[in-house]
Amino acid sequence: MSLSKILGTRVISIIVAVAACVILDMALSSVIKDAYYIRLVMLAGIYVTLSVSLNLINGITGQFSIGHAGFYMVGAYAAGLSSNAFFDKQPLAMPAYLIVSILIGAGAAAVAGLIVGLPSLRLKGDYLAVVTLGFGEIIRIVTLNQEAWGGSYGYNVTNKYQSIALVFLLAIVCIAVCRNLLKSVHGLSFLAIREDEVAAQAMGVNLTRTKVTAFVVGAAFAGAAGALFAHDSGFINPDLFKMEVSFLILTMVVLGGTGSITGSVFAAMTLFIIPEMGRIIKFEVSQGMLVALLLAVGAMVWAIRRTTNHFHGAKPQKSLRYLLSVLVPIGVGFGVGKVIETYTILGDKIYKANDLRFVILALVLLVVMLIRPSGLFGHHEFSWDWVKSLFNRRAVKVEA
Amino acid sequence: MAVLSMEQVTIKFGGLTAVNEVTFDIEKGDLYGLIGPNGAGKTTCFNMITGVYTPTSGKVIYDGRDISGMPPNKIAEVGICRTFQNIRLFSALSALENVMVGAYLRHETSLLSGFLLSPRAIKETAEMRKRAMEFLSVVDLAEEAHSRAADLSYGKQRRLEIARAMATNPKLILLDEPAAGMNPQEKDELREVVLRIRDEFEKTVLLIEHDMKFVMNLCEKIVVLDHGEEIARGGPAEIRSNPKVIEAYLGEAV
Repeated sequence: MSLSKILGTRVISIIVAVAACVILDMALSSVIKDAYYIRLVMLAGIYVTLSVSLNLINGITGQFSIGHAGFYMVGAYAAGLSSNAFFDKQPLAMPAYLIVSILIGAGAAAVAGLIVGLPSLRLKGDYLAVVTLGFGEIIRIVTLNQEAWGGSYGYNVTNKYQSIALVFLLAIVCIAVCRNLLKSVHGLSFLAIREDEVAAQAMGVNLTRTKVTAFVVGAAFAGAAGALFAHDSGFINPDLFKMEVSFLILTMVVLGGTGSITGSVFAAMTLFIIPEMGRIIKFEVSQGMLVALLLAVGAMVWAIRRTTNHFHGAKPQKSLRYLLSVLVPIGVGFGVGKVIETYTILGDKIYKANDLRFVILALVLLVVMLIRPSGLFGHHEFSWDWVKSLFNRRAVKVEA
Repeated sequence: MAVLSMEQVTIKFGGLTAVNEVTFDIEKGDLYGLIGPNGAGKTTCFNMITGVYTPTSGKVIYDGRDISGMPPNKIAEVGICRTFQNIRLFSALSALENVMVGAYLRHETSLLSGFLLSPRAIKETAEMRKRAMEFLSVVDLAEEAHSRAADLSYGKQRRLEIARAMATNPKLILLDEPAAGMNPQEKDELREVVLRIRDEFEKTVLLIEHDMKFVMNLCEKIVVLDHGEEIARGGPAEIRSNPKVIEAYLGEAV
């Protein structure tokens, strides 16, 4: 207690965050020797930064941007190019220079954010989406045609350096900045723009300044993530920043619940890990079983939605209905699948988990969006009060 | 000196003259009514005063300076705030947060301190929350502070819009059909609120309203528009007996 008084909770939380990242870094590199897993963790951290920063533009300020991979790419190339050009001529050692490089990547992406943000201010919704999409593609195609930057062969960043600690520190800073904004009254002006631009402006919110800030800050974090990525892999190539990456980040934001930082973090991890699970977990499934299970998932979604919309019983009964809505269709599906499998009704083709990676990803997206159209977390955020309320539900009821 | 002067304000949309050479002065402390049949150009007048539209010709003078053509956020800053005919609340935000957006106009800490959540930003946020709470209780919505704006009843949403506009600390407040869709009891309550805004908070009020009884009981000065032109001006008694007004708008004596 006295310690928190001397240093202030803020300083302590910063120290804890840094320590946690460093420990995670050391733990990973000593316990997990497999470079594949370390890279997975690293990329998951980068995607957290990307989705939380896009959430600032898309979810909090309500500006529909689908060119986030463009900012990510600007950061990666700016950091990579400057690192190759200046690293040998300056006195800093690598981890320290990596921070400089992150700042360069963030700065370059922020400028790009300003360039896209300013003219796009008059555009809304679909039109803004088209412009940002165009920006992402233009950046990629211009780079593709720069021979000095390696063109389609890609670009080698000679000062390769992997730092899980910095990746997660960046993610934490990004989350903290967005959370701070929402905790202060300033954040309300961003949310007001999302809710109603005309009313926000009539209440004195400066639309231009606020929207451009969202674009610049969001882009800067994406650029910083790009800088880390470039130094981690040591090789960047325009194909790594295609439209699909933008869409993946956007999907993370939407799946988590637009505006919810918690949702963005959670969805980034989930969506990034799911396709990789197909590589890690080994399982095989017959064609018959696959068809039966897919139909079962459909039935499950139907049953869950029916319970949500048409069942008004007491809470325990409703929970039971939800449980049955999941267990019955999946159980029946599994049984039917076994029967089809045994009698080889649908042929004996076998699918490996690796073949089904993106089928499963698509399925998860479909199921979540059908069951929870506002995303996993809706507009809600993680808070300790919420955790407490989970445990204290009964107590609260007695009081009420 | 007049708080707001409309000087021969005209706006044309293509061939249509929506508002034609409208001229009136609002003095400090006035409770001014702007009435007229549908399509008379009342809301267009509001939109010109608040910077949504720029007049084709003429001037809107506020506090001695020409504000025609200024962007809406600047106009809110100089001290004019409004409510909307078709309610425009920030639906997903709570009632309290809605009012805090209004209070945000007078912020002093920088945006950077918001991103860093500096102690000053925390303090300012707390102050604004407190101030927003006070305005919520003025319109009798303190108990609904944490309800989502979209979940409030129609009458409450209208009052919440007034609280939000009040929170920007304007000198002149424009109410666009504040009583629309309210039942008689809600209208009485609204009347009290508007009078309090004028008397206790010393604001000047300009309001558009269709409910004649409400306007006649509340406003001290009234200007009547028809087809974008002023057809009458004066106190409620004069307006009530003005043959032009009766013909154009009322249809019969009120």
